[in-house]
Amino acid sequence: MASPSTSASLSLPAAVAASPREFISPADEGAAFQRMRRRIVATVAWQTLSQSWFRVALVAVLTGLLWSGLFWMFLDGFGFLRTIIPDVDTRVRTVSAVFGTFFAALMVMLVFSSGIILYGSLFCSKETAFLLTTPARTERVFLHKFQEALLLSSWGFVLLGSPILLAYGVVARASWYYYVLLLPYLLAFIYIPVAIGAILCLIVVRHIPNGRMMVVIGGGVLFLVGAVWLAWSTLGATENELLTSDWFQRVLGRLPFSERRLLPSWWLSSGLLGASGRIWSDSVLFLVLMISNALFFRQLACWTAARLFRVSYSGLYGRPQRRRRARSHRFDRGLSAALAFLPVTTRLLIVKDLRLFRRDPLQWLQFLIFLGLLALYFLNIRRFMSGVNYAGWVNMISFLNLAVVGLLLSTFMTRFVFPLISLEGRRFWILGLLPMRRDTILWSKLLFAVGGSIVPCTSLVLLSDLILGVPRLVVFSHQVTCVLLCLGLSGIAVGLGARFPNFREQSPSRIAAGFGGTLNLVVSTLYIVTVVLLTAVPTHFYLAAEDSASPSSLEKVMPGIDKQANVQWHRYSTSAQADQPSEVQWWLKLWWGAGSLGSILLGSIATGLPLYVGFRAFRRMDF
Amino acid sequence: MIEFHNVTRTYARKVAVDGLTLTVRAGELFALLGPNGAGKTTTIKLLTGLLQPTAGQVRVCGHDLAGDVRQATRAIGYVPDEPFLYEKLSGREFLEFAAEMRGLDRPAVARAIERECRNFALKDFLDDLTETYSHGTKQRLVFAAALLHDPPAVVVDEPMVGLDPLGVRVVKDRLRTVASTGSAVFMSTHTLAIAEELADRIGIMNQGRLHFLGTKSELQRHLASRETSLESLFLEMTEGTDGYGKTGEEDGAPRHGGNHQASTHRQEALPLPPSPS
Repeated sequence: MASPSTSASLSLPAAVAASPREFISPADEGAAFQRMRRRIVATVAWQTLSQSWFRVALVAVLTGLLWSGLFWMFLDGFGFLRTIIPDVDTRVRTVSAVFGTFFAALMVMLVFSSGIILYGSLFCSKETAFLLTTPARTERVFLHKFQEALLLSSWGFVLLGSPILLAYGVVARASWYYYVLLLPYLLAFIYIPVAIGAILCLIVVRHIPNGRMMVVIGGGVLFLVGAVWLAWSTLGATENELLTSDWFQRVLGRLPFSERRLLPSWWLSSGLLGASGRIWSDSVLFLVLMISNALFFRQLACWTAARLFRVSYSGLYGRPQRRRRARSHRFDRGLSAALAFLPVTTRLLIVKDLRLFRRDPLQWLQFLIFLGLLALYFLNIRRFMSGVNYAGWVNMISFLNLAVVGLLLSTFMTRFVFPLISLEGRRFWILGLLPMRRDTILWSKLLFAVGGSIVPCTSLVLLSDLILGVPRLVVFSHQVTCVLLCLGLSGIAVGLGARFPNFREQSPSRIAAGFGGTLNLVVSTLYIVTVVLLTAVPTHFYLAAEDSASPSSLEKVMPGIDKQANVQWHRYSTSAQADQPSEVQWWLKLWWGAGSLGSILLGSIATGLPLYVGFRAFRRMDF
Repeated sequence: MIEFHNVTRTYARKVAVDGLTLTVRAGELFALLGPNGAGKTTTIKLLTGLLQPTAGQVRVCGHDLAGDVRQATRAIGYVPDEPFLYEKLSGREFLEFAAEMRGLDRPAVARAIERECRNFALKDFLDDLTETYSHGTKQRLVFAAALLHDPPAVVVDEPMVGLDPLGVRVVKDRLRTVASTGSAVFMSTHTLAIAEELADRIGIMNQGRLHFLGTKSELQRHLASRETSLESLFLEMTEGTDGYGKTGEEDGAPRHGGNHQASTHRQEALPLPPSPS
């Protein structure tokens, strides 16, 4: 470090308040903010590419895959629509209703997400507090955060919206200007809900600062109820009526709001359909309408911010804060009692981790929401699967469900368990000085992860199996595989977490987003796929072999098949069953057994090896 | 330069600042002392425009913080207790941004950065990302950013936190120099020794009220007449609310809040000397 100046060498300001000219002009102020943001983006991009290229490549590949999958799916969908609705007018009306509904739903979601994002960035960020103490215009500070919210809340919209619109353009053989107009249309559209979300956020914080959470929750519940009601009333028809011409007409009739001419979603769909149908005057007219409205709402948001932002900020921090007392929860006491067989240090560490998890709603809410959604899906799976009785399909769906539970678990392990060791780094002065071995810390993390995952995951898989009505053998196989998944994924997360810790970061999500976290996610995914395939494929063939011998299976697969054909199939399958050598059955059983053993072996390696590597690294680690 | 006119700030029923009237003149270094929850941080937030008073007026160089916040904040250089830095900017880029916001043109920005980097010994780190700085270096950078535009009013919250002895010396010297060139310095601190050493005038705040306000010589006379030290006087005035017992936070008010239950006998025992202004 250079030697600091002393009082003798201090240079004095020429005159107090002499140098600053008048206020910086709005244009220069905007340019200064832009420059600052550009520099930050450039630094982050350079750091990410040079330090986390693996993650960038993985994200790019996965995003590309997702985008391509969506594109091909919608290409197929629009192609299908073209085939079953030959009349152009009806088809355009149908697509208009689909676009209208899709964009209206996204608009509501954008209003919500941008409002919530802006609440965090305007009222809870240290940067805003810093900027408010500078002479920057209030509306400039708002605009700075507004643009951030625009970016954060719209990438998902672009990721979802662009493949749909491009696929439609391809199917409708749209003219070149359809593709040119897509981007300005999407940008202009996004501006409107984000600006409305910003205005609502400012008004809510200004006038009901204490009830802001209730407003958000109430709005969210209303939106969900509305969406469920709409989905139910629109698609709640029996399967016999599905996808007929009458069904389309009825569905269109139930979506009157998609035709509301005051909604930007209607402008967007009408403009784009105009462009795809080569009616350029319509498409330009709607684009101008969208842009003028986007600018109007942006100005309205800035005007509102200039009047409300500072006073809302002051009001928000002028409300009394609730006392937060930490009480010993009965759950902690119960867990402590249940873990009495463990050494006291391990037990205390597990209870401590659970307490931290319990007191951070961001963590357990995500866990709960995803588990709840999966449970909802499993409970309704019978309805989706009605009419599908072929054991092979049911079996396949049940294994897919198992894989989904595993994948969900792997993301949670990466997000919550992997960062645990890194987070202990800064607190290691406490743990490191305690009279216990370092291994105890890792064992406690492993037990915490296994204990926390095994009950919800096995229950979910059991629920799926019971609803699907799969054979007992499969239920047993799923439960064993699920336990293997919980053990293996916990071992990978704890082991790699100890091997690739990041002691500089305090945020679990940033730790999870680093190299170690990405590696953890990739290894976990490979492990899940391998374990599930090892058990699923032999089971599938084993059951398929049994099922193919069943005389009634053809009718199950193809309900309503000609009776004579079924009789012929019955004769064939019966003779096939008779001809099927017992050797094949034996080999299938052997394969099934080998697959099960292989998955157990792989599970042991996946649990043990990362833990071995992690323990070794953790023992040698300097803090 | 800095004026509080009968300023009150409440958090629902809690009174964080209670009828504060105070003037810090140009060239004066004022130190505000008080235990946790006394209302010091609220006072500073009122002075920097982050909070608006429930009643009364806060003015900087004649500009009302509520009505003319841009003029007022332009006249202020603020060093918060938990400074914010853009971690992905270098020290130079951060200083450039701070100076531009204050309306300095390019040549003035370069001159000001050069000057403050010399004063705070930042030259070696200036082009490094601020995320790599030690706590002390960050603190010195924030001081440099606050003083770039030669502000007529400097507001400092806990100035010495995280600084090494050399850094403390540099900051002390710089604050004294800033005051001697005509700026009003408003400093909030827990450290009695810093206040005694640097301040021209000291205020002791408790439960939102000023319980003592006087020049250093008045304070010294007062201490001599009572044969006590500043520490003893401080503890006597803030007895029972020293931050280890009840604080605003624990009582349900925000961190900078406090209960208004001014002790009458204390006010009688320690009458406020008239403000020099």
